[in-house]
Amino acid sequence: MMNSKTPTYKLNDDDFRQINRRSLFGFQLGWNYERMQGSGYLYTILPQLRKIYGDGTPELKEMMKTHTQFFNTSNFFNTIITGIDLAVEEKEGIKGEETVAGMKAGLMGSFASIGDSIFAALIPAIFGAIAANMATKGNPIGVFIWILAQIAVMVFRWKQLRVAYNEGVALVTTMSHRLAALTNAATIMGVFMVGALVATMINVKFAWAPNVGSVPLDIQNSLDMILPKLLPALIVAGIYWLLGRKHMTSTRAIFIVLIVSVVLSALGLIAKG
Amino acid sequence: MIAWWQIAILTLYAGYQILDELQIYSAMSSPVFAGLVTGLVMGDMRAGLLIGASMQLTVLGVGTFGGASRIDANSGTILATAFSISSGMKPAAAVAAIAVPVASIMIQTDILARFANTFFAHKIDKMVDEYNYKGIERYFIAGALPWALSRMIPVGLALAFGGGFVANLARVLNTSWKWLGDGLATAGAVLPAVGFAILLHYLPVKKHFAYLILGFTVTMLFSTVFGNIQTLGTAVAGVAKTFTTSFNGLSMLAIALIGFAFAAIAYQQSTATNAGGGSGSSDKKPAADEKGEIEDDEL
Repeated sequence: MMNSKTPTYKLNDDDFRQINRRSLFGFQLGWNYERMQGSGYLYTILPQLRKIYGDGTPELKEMMKTHTQFFNTSNFFNTIITGIDLAVEEKEGIKGEETVAGMKAGLMGSFASIGDSIFAALIPAIFGAIAANMATKGNPIGVFIWILAQIAVMVFRWKQLRVAYNEGVALVTTMSHRLAALTNAATIMGVFMVGALVATMINVKFAWAPNVGSVPLDIQNSLDMILPKLLPALIVAGIYWLLGRKHMTSTRAIFIVLIVSVVLSALGLIAKG
Repeated sequence: MIAWWQIAILTLYAGYQILDELQIYSAMSSPVFAGLVTGLVMGDMRAGLLIGASMQLTVLGVGTFGGASRIDANSGTILATAFSISSGMKPAAAVAAIAVPVASIMIQTDILARFANTFFAHKIDKMVDEYNYKGIERYFIAGALPWALSRMIPVGLALAFGGGFVANLARVLNTSWKWLGDGLATAGAVLPAVGFAILLHYLPVKKHFAYLILGFTVTMLFSTVFGNIQTLGTAVAGVAKTFTTSFNGLSMLAIALIGFAFAAIAYQQSTATNAGGGSGSSDKKPAADEKGEIEDDEL
Protein backbone atom coordinates (compact mmCIF):
# COMPACT_ATOMS: atom_id res chain seq x y z
CA MET A 1 0.00 0.00 0.00
CA MET A 2 2.46 2.60 1.17
CA ASN A 3 5.21 1.54 -1.19
CA SER A 4 6.13 4.93 -2.61
CA LYS A 5 7.48 7.79 -0.54
CA THR A 6 6.06 10.57 -2.70
CA PRO A 7 2.29 10.53 -3.03
CA THR A 8 0.57 10.09 -6.38
CA TYR A 9 -2.81 11.60 -5.68
CA LYS A 10 -3.75 14.79 -7.56
CA LEU A 11 -6.40 17.09 -6.13
CA ASN A 12 -9.42 17.65 -8.36
CA ASP A 13 -12.40 20.01 -8.50
CA ASP A 14 -14.40 17.93 -6.05
CA ASP A 15 -11.59 18.22 -3.51
CA PHE A 16 -11.50 22.00 -3.82
CA ARG A 17 -15.26 22.19 -3.47
CA GLN A 18 -15.14 20.01 -0.36
CA ILE A 19 -12.36 22.07 1.26
CA ASN A 20 -14.19 25.31 0.52
CA ARG A 21 -17.44 23.95 1.89
CA ARG A 22 -15.76 22.80 5.08
CA SER A 23 -13.87 26.07 5.42
CA LEU A 24 -16.86 28.33 4.85
CA PHE A 25 -19.27 26.43 7.11
CA GLY A 26 -16.99 24.78 9.65
CA PHE A 27 -13.57 26.32 10.00
CA GLN A 28 -14.00 27.98 13.41
CA LEU A 29 -16.47 25.67 15.16
CA GLY A 30 -13.70 24.11 17.23
CA TRP A 31 -12.09 27.43 18.23
CA ASN A 32 -10.58 27.08 21.70
CA TYR A 33 -8.07 28.88 23.89
CA GLU A 34 -5.43 26.19 23.68
CA ARG A 35 -4.81 25.81 19.96
CA MET A 36 -7.44 28.19 18.52
CA GLN A 37 -8.15 27.11 14.92
CA GLY A 38 -5.88 24.04 15.07
CA SER A 39 -8.59 21.39 14.91
CA GLY A 40 -10.42 23.50 12.32
CA TYR A 41 -7.42 23.39 10.03
CA LEU A 42 -7.30 19.59 10.23
CA TYR A 43 -11.05 19.26 9.73
CA THR A 44 -10.92 21.39 6.58
CA ILE A 45 -8.38 19.19 4.79
CA LEU A 46 -8.89 15.80 6.49
CA PRO A 47 -10.44 14.01 3.47
CA GLN A 48 -7.63 15.26 1.23
CA LEU A 49 -4.93 14.21 3.69
CA ARG A 50 -6.45 10.72 3.73
CA LYS A 51 -6.34 10.59 -0.06
CA ILE A 52 -2.76 11.86 -0.25
CA TYR A 53 -1.25 9.61 2.41
CA GLY A 54 -3.69 6.70 2.51
CA ASP A 55 -5.83 5.55 5.48
CA GLY A 56 -4.01 4.00 8.42
CA THR A 57 -0.49 4.98 7.39
CA PRO A 58 2.00 6.40 9.93
CA GLU A 59 2.52 9.35 7.55
CA LEU A 60 -1.13 10.24 7.82
CA LYS A 61 -1.03 10.19 11.63
CA GLU A 62 2.11 12.32 11.60
CA MET A 63 0.51 14.95 9.35
CA MET A 64 -2.80 14.87 11.23
CA LYS A 65 -0.84 15.71 14.39
CA THR A 66 1.03 18.49 12.60
CA HIS A 67 -2.23 20.04 11.47
CA THR A 68 -3.88 20.05 14.91
CA GLN A 69 -1.13 22.27 16.30
CA PHE A 70 -1.74 25.90 17.20
CA PHE A 71 -3.09 27.86 14.27
CA ASN A 72 -4.87 31.19 14.12
CA THR A 73 -5.39 33.46 11.16
CA SER A 74 -8.13 35.45 9.49
CA ASN A 75 -10.98 33.15 8.54
CA PHE A 76 -11.30 35.21 5.36
CA PHE A 77 -7.82 34.20 4.19
CA ASN A 78 -7.25 30.76 5.73
CA THR A 79 -7.73 28.84 2.47
CA ILE A 80 -4.84 30.75 0.88
CA ILE A 81 -2.58 29.05 3.39
CA THR A 82 -4.44 25.77 2.87
CA GLY A 83 -3.96 26.02 -0.90
CA ILE A 84 -0.21 26.62 -0.65
CA ASP A 85 0.04 23.84 1.95
CA LEU A 86 -1.72 21.25 -0.20
CA ALA A 87 0.34 22.11 -3.26
CA VAL A 88 3.47 21.29 -1.23
CA GLU A 89 2.10 18.15 0.43
CA GLU A 90 0.72 16.77 -2.80
CA LYS A 91 4.16 17.05 -4.40
CA GLU A 92 6.50 16.18 -1.56
CA GLY A 93 4.36 14.19 0.85
CA ILE A 94 5.72 13.68 4.34
CA LYS A 95 9.07 15.23 3.31
CA GLY A 96 7.27 18.55 3.06
CA GLU A 97 6.21 18.48 6.69
CA GLU A 98 8.73 21.02 7.92
CA THR A 99 8.12 23.32 4.97
CA VAL A 100 4.39 23.19 5.60
CA ALA A 101 4.63 23.74 9.34
CA GLY A 102 7.00 26.68 8.85
CA MET A 103 4.87 28.19 6.09
CA LYS A 104 1.72 27.96 8.22
CA ALA A 105 3.37 29.62 11.21
CA GLY A 106 5.01 32.25 9.04
CA LEU A 107 1.93 33.32 7.09
CA MET A 108 -0.83 33.10 9.66
CA GLY A 109 0.16 36.29 11.48
CA SER A 110 0.33 38.60 8.50
CA PHE A 111 -2.87 37.23 6.96
CA ALA A 112 -4.57 37.63 10.33
CA SER A 113 -3.80 41.33 10.50
CA ILE A 114 -4.70 42.12 6.88
CA GLY A 115 -7.84 40.00 7.03
CA ASP A 116 -9.00 41.46 10.32
CA SER A 117 -8.50 45.03 9.16
CA ILE A 118 -10.30 44.62 5.82
CA PHE A 119 -12.98 42.01 6.49
CA ALA A 120 -13.61 42.24 10.23
CA ALA A 121 -13.33 46.00 10.66
CA LEU A 122 -13.60 48.07 7.48
CA ILE A 123 -16.29 46.28 5.48
CA PRO A 124 -18.56 45.83 8.53
CA ALA A 125 -17.96 49.47 9.45
CA ILE A 126 -18.86 50.84 6.02
CA PHE A 127 -21.84 48.60 5.31
CA GLY A 128 -22.92 48.53 8.95
CA ALA A 129 -23.04 52.31 8.91
CA ILE A 130 -25.20 52.38 5.78
CA ALA A 131 -27.50 49.69 7.19
CA ALA A 132 -27.79 51.45 10.55
CA ASN A 133 -28.45 54.80 8.91
CA MET A 134 -31.36 53.41 6.89
CA ALA A 135 -32.59 51.41 9.89
CA THR A 136 -32.97 54.53 12.04
CA LYS A 137 -35.50 55.69 9.44
CA GLY A 138 -37.32 52.36 9.75
CA ASN A 139 -35.94 51.04 6.46
CA PRO A 140 -34.47 47.50 6.46
CA ILE A 141 -33.05 47.68 2.90
CA GLY A 142 -29.58 48.67 4.13
CA VAL A 143 -29.28 45.35 5.94
CA PHE A 144 -29.89 43.49 2.71
CA ILE A 145 -27.34 45.62 0.84
CA TRP A 146 -24.84 44.52 3.48
CA ILE A 147 -25.83 40.86 3.07
CA LEU A 148 -25.24 41.16 -0.69
CA ALA A 149 -21.79 42.62 -0.03
CA GLN A 150 -20.99 39.70 2.27
CA ILE A 151 -22.07 37.24 -0.39
CA ALA A 152 -19.52 38.87 -2.71
CA VAL A 153 -16.93 38.37 0.05
CA MET A 154 -17.92 34.70 0.25
CA VAL A 155 -17.30 34.32 -3.48
CA PHE A 156 -13.86 35.84 -2.95
CA ARG A 157 -13.19 33.40 -0.11
CA TRP A 158 -14.30 30.52 -2.31
CA LYS A 159 -12.02 31.45 -5.19
CA GLN A 160 -8.79 32.11 -3.38
CA LEU A 161 -8.08 28.43 -2.56
CA ARG A 162 -7.62 27.49 -6.21
CA VAL A 163 -5.46 30.55 -6.95
CA ALA A 164 -3.24 29.83 -3.95
CA TYR A 165 -2.92 26.16 -4.91
CA ASN A 166 -1.85 27.06 -8.46
CA GLU A 167 0.56 29.85 -7.63
CA GLY A 168 2.02 28.51 -4.39
CA VAL A 169 4.25 30.65 -2.23
CA ALA A 170 4.91 33.07 -5.11
CA LEU A 171 1.35 34.33 -4.61
CA VAL A 172 2.21 35.93 -1.30
CA THR A 173 4.81 38.24 -2.81
CA THR A 174 2.72 39.19 -5.84
CA MET A 175 -0.29 39.82 -3.63
CA SER A 176 1.40 41.90 -0.98
CA HIS A 177 1.69 45.26 -2.75
CA ARG A 178 -1.81 45.04 -4.16
CA LEU A 179 -3.14 44.29 -0.73
CA ALA A 180 -1.23 47.24 0.68
CA ALA A 181 -2.78 49.56 -1.91
CA LEU A 182 -6.19 48.09 -1.27
CA THR A 183 -5.87 48.47 2.49
CA ASN A 184 -4.80 52.08 2.05
CA ALA A 185 -7.79 52.84 -0.18
CA ALA A 186 -10.17 51.06 2.15
CA THR A 187 -8.94 53.00 5.16
CA ILE A 188 -9.53 56.27 3.28
CA MET A 189 -13.13 55.28 2.73
CA GLY A 190 -13.33 54.17 6.36
CA VAL A 191 -12.09 57.51 7.69
CA PHE A 192 -14.39 59.41 5.32
CA MET A 193 -17.38 57.39 6.49
CA VAL A 194 -16.62 57.97 10.15
CA GLY A 195 -16.63 61.71 9.43
CA ALA A 196 -20.02 61.32 7.72
CA LEU A 197 -21.38 59.26 10.61
CA VAL A 198 -20.31 61.78 13.22
CA ALA A 199 -22.28 64.39 11.29
CA THR A 200 -25.48 62.35 11.08
CA MET A 201 -25.80 59.61 13.67
CA ILE A 202 -25.20 61.28 17.03
CA ASN A 203 -28.45 63.00 17.83
CA VAL A 204 -27.79 65.11 20.91
CA LYS A 205 -28.05 68.82 21.46
CA PHE A 206 -27.41 71.37 24.16
CA ALA A 207 -30.51 71.77 26.29
CA TRP A 208 -28.98 74.38 28.55
CA ALA A 209 -30.49 77.85 28.03
CA PRO A 210 -29.24 80.29 30.66
CA ASN A 211 -31.01 83.61 31.01
CA VAL A 212 -29.02 86.64 29.93
CA GLY A 213 -30.96 89.48 31.51
CA SER A 214 -34.52 88.37 30.82
CA VAL A 215 -33.79 86.71 27.46
CA PRO A 216 -32.96 82.98 27.45
CA LEU A 217 -29.80 82.33 25.44
CA ASP A 218 -30.29 79.41 23.05
CA ILE A 219 -26.81 77.91 23.08
CA GLN A 220 -27.57 75.26 20.48
CA ASN A 221 -28.80 77.87 18.02
CA SER A 222 -25.69 80.01 18.54
CA LEU A 223 -23.48 76.98 17.97
CA ASP A 224 -25.36 76.07 14.79
CA MET A 225 -24.41 79.46 13.40
CA ILE A 226 -20.73 78.69 13.96
CA LEU A 227 -20.76 75.06 12.80
CA PRO A 228 -23.71 72.66 12.78
CA LYS A 229 -23.01 69.31 14.49
CA LEU A 230 -20.22 70.79 16.59
CA LEU A 231 -21.38 68.98 19.74
CA PRO A 232 -21.23 65.47 18.16
CA ALA A 233 -17.74 66.25 16.82
CA LEU A 234 -16.59 67.34 20.29
CA ILE A 235 -18.08 64.24 21.91
CA VAL A 236 -16.26 61.91 19.49
CA ALA A 237 -13.01 63.84 20.00
CA GLY A 238 -13.44 63.48 23.76
CA ILE A 239 -14.05 59.73 23.60
CA TYR A 240 -11.15 59.35 21.18
CA TRP A 241 -8.93 60.94 23.80
CA LEU A 242 -10.47 58.78 26.54
CA LEU A 243 -9.73 55.59 24.62
CA GLY A 244 -6.09 56.55 24.36
CA ARG A 245 -5.74 56.57 28.15
CA LYS A 246 -4.05 53.73 30.00
CA HIS A 247 -6.18 50.78 31.21
CA MET A 248 -9.06 51.87 28.98
CA THR A 249 -11.05 49.20 27.17
CA SER A 250 -13.93 49.70 24.78
CA THR A 251 -16.35 48.16 27.28
CA ARG A 252 -15.22 50.54 30.03
CA ALA A 253 -15.49 53.50 27.67
CA ILE A 254 -19.05 52.51 26.77
CA PHE A 255 -20.04 52.48 30.44
CA ILE A 256 -18.31 55.77 31.21
CA VAL A 257 -20.11 57.44 28.31
CA LEU A 258 -23.40 55.91 29.45
CA ILE A 259 -23.08 57.25 33.00
CA VAL A 260 -21.77 60.70 32.03
CA SER A 261 -24.61 61.08 29.50
CA VAL A 262 -27.25 60.21 32.10
CA VAL A 263 -25.75 62.70 34.55
CA LEU A 264 -25.48 65.54 32.01
CA SER A 265 -29.03 64.84 30.88
CA ALA A 266 -30.34 64.84 34.46
CA LEU A 267 -28.63 68.19 35.03
CA GLY A 268 -30.40 69.54 31.96
CA LEU A 269 -27.23 70.28 30.00
CA ILE A 270 -27.80 67.97 27.04
CA ALA A 271 -30.86 66.27 25.57
CA LYS A 272 -31.71 63.82 22.83
CA GLY A 273 -31.98 65.76 19.57
CA MET B 1 -45.93 39.33 27.73
CA ILE B 2 -43.74 37.37 25.36
CA ALA B 3 -45.36 34.28 23.82
CA TRP B 4 -43.61 30.90 23.93
CA TRP B 5 -43.20 30.78 20.17
CA GLN B 6 -41.55 34.18 20.21
CA ILE B 7 -39.12 32.96 22.89
CA ALA B 8 -38.43 29.85 20.81
CA ILE B 9 -37.66 31.72 17.59
CA LEU B 10 -35.51 34.33 19.29
CA THR B 11 -33.56 31.70 21.23
CA LEU B 12 -32.90 29.76 18.03
CA TYR B 13 -31.77 32.94 16.31
CA ALA B 14 -29.44 33.71 19.24
CA GLY B 15 -27.78 30.36 18.64
CA TYR B 16 -27.66 30.80 14.88
CA GLN B 17 -26.14 34.27 14.91
CA ILE B 18 -22.93 33.28 16.69
CA LEU B 19 -22.38 30.35 14.29
CA ASP B 20 -23.01 32.68 11.36
CA GLU B 21 -20.52 35.19 12.72
CA LEU B 22 -17.87 32.50 13.17
CA GLN B 23 -18.36 30.96 9.76
CA ILE B 24 -20.02 32.49 6.72
CA TYR B 25 -20.28 35.99 8.21
CA SER B 26 -23.34 36.88 6.19
CA ALA B 27 -24.27 40.08 8.08
CA MET B 28 -27.22 38.15 9.50
CA SER B 29 -25.10 38.11 12.63
CA SER B 30 -25.06 41.90 12.87
CA PRO B 31 -26.92 43.86 15.56
CA VAL B 32 -29.00 45.68 12.96
CA PHE B 33 -30.20 42.34 11.53
CA ALA B 34 -30.80 41.03 15.06
CA GLY B 35 -32.96 44.09 15.63
CA LEU B 36 -34.85 43.46 12.39
CA VAL B 37 -35.54 39.80 13.23
CA THR B 38 -36.56 40.49 16.82
CA GLY B 39 -38.69 43.44 15.75
CA LEU B 40 -40.54 41.33 13.19
CA VAL B 41 -41.08 38.47 15.65
CA MET B 42 -42.33 40.87 18.32
CA GLY B 43 -44.54 42.78 15.89
CA ASP B 44 -42.75 46.14 15.78
CA MET B 45 -40.07 46.19 13.09
CA ARG B 46 -39.38 49.90 13.53
CA ALA B 47 -38.44 49.61 17.21
CA GLY B 48 -36.22 46.65 16.41
CA LEU B 49 -34.42 48.52 13.65
CA LEU B 50 -33.90 51.53 15.93
CA ILE B 51 -32.32 49.49 18.71
CA GLY B 52 -30.34 47.37 16.26
CA ALA B 53 -29.00 50.48 14.52
CA SER B 54 -27.89 52.05 17.81
CA MET B 55 -26.05 48.91 18.87
CA GLN B 56 -24.56 48.51 15.39
CA LEU B 57 -23.05 51.96 15.59
CA THR B 58 -21.89 51.50 19.19
CA VAL B 59 -19.77 48.47 18.28
CA LEU B 60 -18.75 49.69 14.84
CA GLY B 61 -15.03 49.52 15.52
CA VAL B 62 -15.10 46.54 17.87
CA GLY B 63 -13.94 43.53 15.90
CA THR B 64 -13.00 40.03 17.08
CA PHE B 65 -9.28 40.38 16.71
CA GLY B 66 -7.10 37.34 17.29
CA GLY B 67 -9.89 35.53 19.08
CA ALA B 68 -10.43 38.10 21.80
CA SER B 69 -13.94 38.22 23.24
CA ARG B 70 -15.94 41.31 22.47
CA ILE B 71 -19.19 42.62 23.84
CA ASP B 72 -22.10 40.62 22.47
CA ALA B 73 -24.12 43.36 20.83
CA ASN B 74 -26.37 40.84 19.07
CA SER B 75 -27.71 39.20 22.23
CA GLY B 76 -28.03 42.65 23.79
CA THR B 77 -30.09 43.80 20.80
CA ILE B 78 -32.36 40.74 20.92
CA LEU B 79 -33.21 41.20 24.62
CA ALA B 80 -33.51 44.98 24.46
CA THR B 81 -35.83 44.82 21.45
CA ALA B 82 -38.00 42.04 22.85
CA PHE B 83 -38.39 43.73 26.25
CA SER B 84 -38.77 47.21 24.82
CA ILE B 85 -41.71 46.08 22.67
CA SER B 86 -43.31 43.83 25.29
CA SER B 87 -43.03 46.31 28.17
CA GLY B 88 -43.42 49.61 26.36
CA MET B 89 -39.97 50.94 27.25
CA LYS B 90 -38.73 53.61 24.84
CA PRO B 91 -36.30 52.05 22.29
CA ALA B 92 -33.59 54.66 22.93
CA ALA B 93 -33.77 54.02 26.67
CA ALA B 94 -33.76 50.25 26.16
CA VAL B 95 -30.40 50.51 24.36
CA ALA B 96 -28.71 52.00 27.43
CA ALA B 97 -30.79 50.21 30.09
CA ILE B 98 -30.81 46.67 28.62
CA ALA B 99 -28.75 46.19 25.46
CA VAL B 100 -25.42 47.53 26.72
CA PRO B 101 -25.41 45.79 30.14
CA VAL B 102 -26.55 42.49 28.62
CA ALA B 103 -23.97 42.74 25.85
CA SER B 104 -21.13 43.19 28.31
CA ILE B 105 -22.28 40.45 30.72
CA MET B 106 -22.40 38.05 27.78
CA ILE B 107 -18.62 38.38 27.35
CA GLN B 108 -18.42 35.82 30.18
CA THR B 109 -20.45 33.17 28.37
CA ASP B 110 -18.31 33.73 25.27
CA ILE B 111 -15.20 32.97 27.32
CA LEU B 112 -16.92 29.88 28.74
CA ALA B 113 -17.63 28.57 25.22
CA ARG B 114 -14.02 29.04 24.17
CA PHE B 115 -12.88 27.12 27.26
CA ALA B 116 -15.39 24.32 26.73
CA ASN B 117 -14.05 23.70 23.23
CA THR B 118 -10.62 22.86 24.65
CA PHE B 119 -12.25 19.62 25.85
CA PHE B 120 -13.21 18.70 22.29
CA ALA B 121 -9.73 19.57 21.02
CA HIS B 122 -8.27 16.93 23.36
CA LYS B 123 -10.88 14.40 22.24
CA ILE B 124 -9.75 15.05 18.67
CA ASP B 125 -6.12 14.32 19.63
CA LYS B 126 -7.25 10.93 20.91
CA MET B 127 -9.21 10.22 17.73
CA VAL B 128 -6.13 11.08 15.64
CA ASP B 129 -4.15 8.44 17.56
CA GLU B 130 -6.85 5.87 16.85
CA TYR B 131 -7.20 6.74 13.14
CA ASN B 132 -10.85 7.40 13.90
CA TYR B 133 -11.73 9.83 11.09
CA LYS B 134 -15.44 9.91 11.84
CA GLY B 135 -14.56 10.62 15.47
CA ILE B 136 -12.37 13.58 14.53
CA GLU B 137 -15.16 15.09 12.49
CA ARG B 138 -17.81 14.32 15.11
CA TYR B 139 -15.90 16.00 17.94
CA PHE B 140 -15.01 18.93 15.71
CA ILE B 141 -18.60 19.62 14.73
CA ALA B 142 -19.63 19.14 18.37
CA GLY B 143 -17.74 22.40 18.96
CA ALA B 144 -20.81 24.15 17.58
CA LEU B 145 -22.69 23.18 20.76
CA PRO B 146 -20.76 25.26 23.32
CA TRP B 147 -20.86 28.18 20.89
CA ALA B 148 -24.60 28.06 20.26
CA LEU B 149 -25.57 27.21 23.85
CA SER B 150 -23.45 30.06 25.23
CA ARG B 151 -25.94 32.40 23.52
CA MET B 152 -29.14 30.35 23.61
CA ILE B 153 -29.20 29.59 27.35
CA PRO B 154 -28.82 33.16 28.66
CA VAL B 155 -31.10 34.67 26.00
CA GLY B 156 -33.76 31.98 26.45
CA LEU B 157 -33.75 32.23 30.24
CA ALA B 158 -33.88 36.02 30.20
CA LEU B 159 -36.77 36.08 27.72
CA ALA B 160 -38.71 33.50 29.72
CA PHE B 161 -38.21 34.91 33.20
CA GLY B 162 -37.05 38.53 32.82
CA GLY B 163 -40.34 40.00 31.59
CA GLY B 164 -41.80 40.93 34.96
CA PHE B 165 -38.68 42.68 36.13
CA VAL B 166 -38.31 44.67 32.92
CA ALA B 167 -41.99 45.64 32.94
CA ASN B 168 -41.57 47.14 36.42
CA LEU B 169 -38.39 48.89 35.32
CA ALA B 170 -40.13 50.36 32.29
CA ARG B 171 -43.01 51.66 34.42
CA VAL B 172 -40.67 53.35 36.88
CA LEU B 173 -38.59 54.91 34.09
CA ASN B 174 -41.71 56.34 32.48
CA THR B 175 -43.14 57.76 35.71
CA SER B 176 -41.38 58.49 39.01
CA TRP B 177 -37.84 58.18 37.66
CA LYS B 178 -38.48 59.98 34.42
CA TRP B 179 -35.16 61.83 34.70
CA LEU B 180 -33.39 58.48 34.53
CA GLY B 181 -35.52 57.31 31.62
CA ASP B 182 -34.72 60.50 29.70
CA GLY B 183 -31.06 60.21 30.69
CA LEU B 184 -30.86 56.66 29.38
CA ALA B 185 -32.48 57.77 26.14
CA THR B 186 -29.88 60.54 25.80
CA ALA B 187 -27.12 58.03 26.56
CA GLY B 188 -28.52 55.81 23.83
CA ALA B 189 -28.17 58.71 21.41
CA VAL B 190 -24.56 59.41 22.48
CA LEU B 191 -23.36 55.76 22.50
CA PRO B 192 -22.70 55.56 18.73
CA ALA B 193 -19.95 58.13 19.35
CA VAL B 194 -18.02 55.40 21.20
CA GLY B 195 -18.18 53.15 18.14
CA PHE B 196 -16.90 55.96 15.91
CA ALA B 197 -14.06 56.80 18.30
CA ILE B 198 -12.99 53.15 18.53
CA LEU B 199 -12.99 52.92 14.76
CA LEU B 200 -10.89 56.08 14.51
CA HIS B 201 -8.33 54.56 16.86
CA TYR B 202 -8.16 51.61 14.59
CA LEU B 203 -7.81 53.58 11.35
CA PRO B 204 -4.78 55.67 10.33
CA VAL B 205 -6.50 58.96 11.19
CA LYS B 206 -3.37 61.07 11.27
CA LYS B 207 -2.44 60.00 7.75
CA HIS B 208 -5.93 60.48 6.34
CA PHE B 209 -7.26 63.30 8.54
CA ALA B 210 -8.20 65.38 5.48
CA TYR B 211 -10.73 62.71 4.52
CA LEU B 212 -12.18 62.80 8.02
CA ILE B 213 -12.80 66.54 7.64
CA LEU B 214 -14.21 66.03 4.13
CA GLY B 215 -16.59 63.31 5.25
CA PHE B 216 -17.78 65.31 8.22
CA THR B 217 -18.21 68.63 6.42
CA VAL B 218 -19.85 67.35 3.24
CA THR B 219 -22.32 65.28 5.24
CA MET B 220 -22.98 67.98 7.81
CA LEU B 221 -23.78 70.54 5.12
CA PHE B 222 -26.00 68.22 3.11
CA SER B 223 -27.83 66.88 6.16
CA THR B 224 -28.55 70.43 7.34
CA VAL B 225 -29.89 71.37 3.89
CA PHE B 226 -31.93 68.18 3.50
CA GLY B 227 -33.25 68.49 7.05
CA ASN B 228 -34.36 72.07 6.52
CA ILE B 229 -36.04 71.25 3.22
CA GLN B 230 -37.94 68.40 4.91
CA THR B 231 -39.10 70.71 7.70
CA LEU B 232 -40.14 73.28 5.14
CA GLY B 233 -41.94 70.68 3.04
CA THR B 234 -43.91 69.41 6.03
CA ALA B 235 -44.86 72.95 7.01
CA VAL B 236 -45.97 73.89 3.49
CA ALA B 237 -47.94 70.67 3.13
CA GLY B 238 -49.76 71.55 6.34
CA VAL B 239 -50.84 74.90 4.94
CA ALA B 240 -51.42 74.26 1.24
CA LYS B 241 -53.48 71.16 0.49
CA THR B 242 -52.33 71.14 -3.16
CA PHE B 243 -48.68 70.68 -2.12
CA THR B 244 -48.18 66.89 -2.22
CA THR B 245 -44.45 66.54 -2.88
CA SER B 246 -42.63 64.75 -0.07
CA PHE B 247 -38.90 65.25 0.47
CA ASN B 248 -36.64 62.41 1.54
CA GLY B 249 -33.73 62.66 3.95
CA LEU B 250 -30.06 62.53 2.98
CA SER B 251 -29.05 59.24 1.38
CA MET B 252 -26.12 57.68 3.24
CA LEU B 253 -25.43 55.51 0.22
CA ALA B 254 -24.73 58.64 -1.82
CA ILE B 255 -22.27 59.85 0.82
CA ALA B 256 -20.65 56.40 0.81
CA LEU B 257 -20.25 56.63 -2.97
CA ILE B 258 -18.37 59.91 -2.61
CA GLY B 259 -16.10 58.20 -0.10
CA PHE B 260 -15.70 55.25 -2.45
CA ALA B 261 -14.65 57.60 -5.27
CA PHE B 262 -11.90 59.08 -3.07
CA ALA B 263 -10.74 55.57 -2.18
CA ALA B 264 -10.75 54.49 -5.83
CA ILE B 265 -8.63 57.49 -6.82
CA ALA B 266 -6.11 56.69 -4.09
CA TYR B 267 -6.03 53.03 -5.13
CA GLN B 268 -5.38 53.87 -8.76
CA GLN B 269 -2.64 56.28 -7.85
CA SER B 270 -0.81 53.86 -5.59
CA THR B 271 -1.01 50.93 -8.02
CA ALA B 272 0.06 53.19 -10.88
CA THR B 273 3.22 54.25 -9.05
CA ASN B 274 3.96 50.64 -8.12
CA ALA B 275 3.52 49.33 -11.65
CA GLY B 276 5.81 52.05 -12.97
CA GLY B 277 8.55 50.55 -10.83
CA GLY B 278 9.06 53.86 -9.08
CA SER B 279 9.27 52.55 -5.56
CA GLY B 280 11.21 49.76 -3.96
CA SER B 281 12.25 46.45 -5.43
CA SER B 282 12.99 45.48 -9.01
CA ASP B 283 10.67 42.70 -10.21
CA LYS B 284 7.38 44.49 -9.81
CA LYS B 285 6.60 45.17 -13.46
CA PRO B 286 5.26 41.80 -14.59
CA ALA B 287 3.48 41.24 -11.30
CA ALA B 288 1.09 44.12 -11.89
CA ASP B 289 -0.20 42.80 -15.22
CA GLU B 290 -0.52 39.13 -14.38
CA LYS B 291 -2.67 39.73 -11.39
CA GLY B 292 -5.76 41.13 -13.04
CA GLU B 293 -8.06 38.34 -11.86
CA ILE B 294 -7.40 38.81 -8.18
CA GLU B 295 -8.04 42.50 -8.21
CA ASP B 296 -11.45 41.94 -9.80
CA ASP B 297 -12.59 39.76 -6.93
CA GLU B 298 -12.25 42.40 -4.32
CA LEU B 299 -14.76 45.08 -3.32
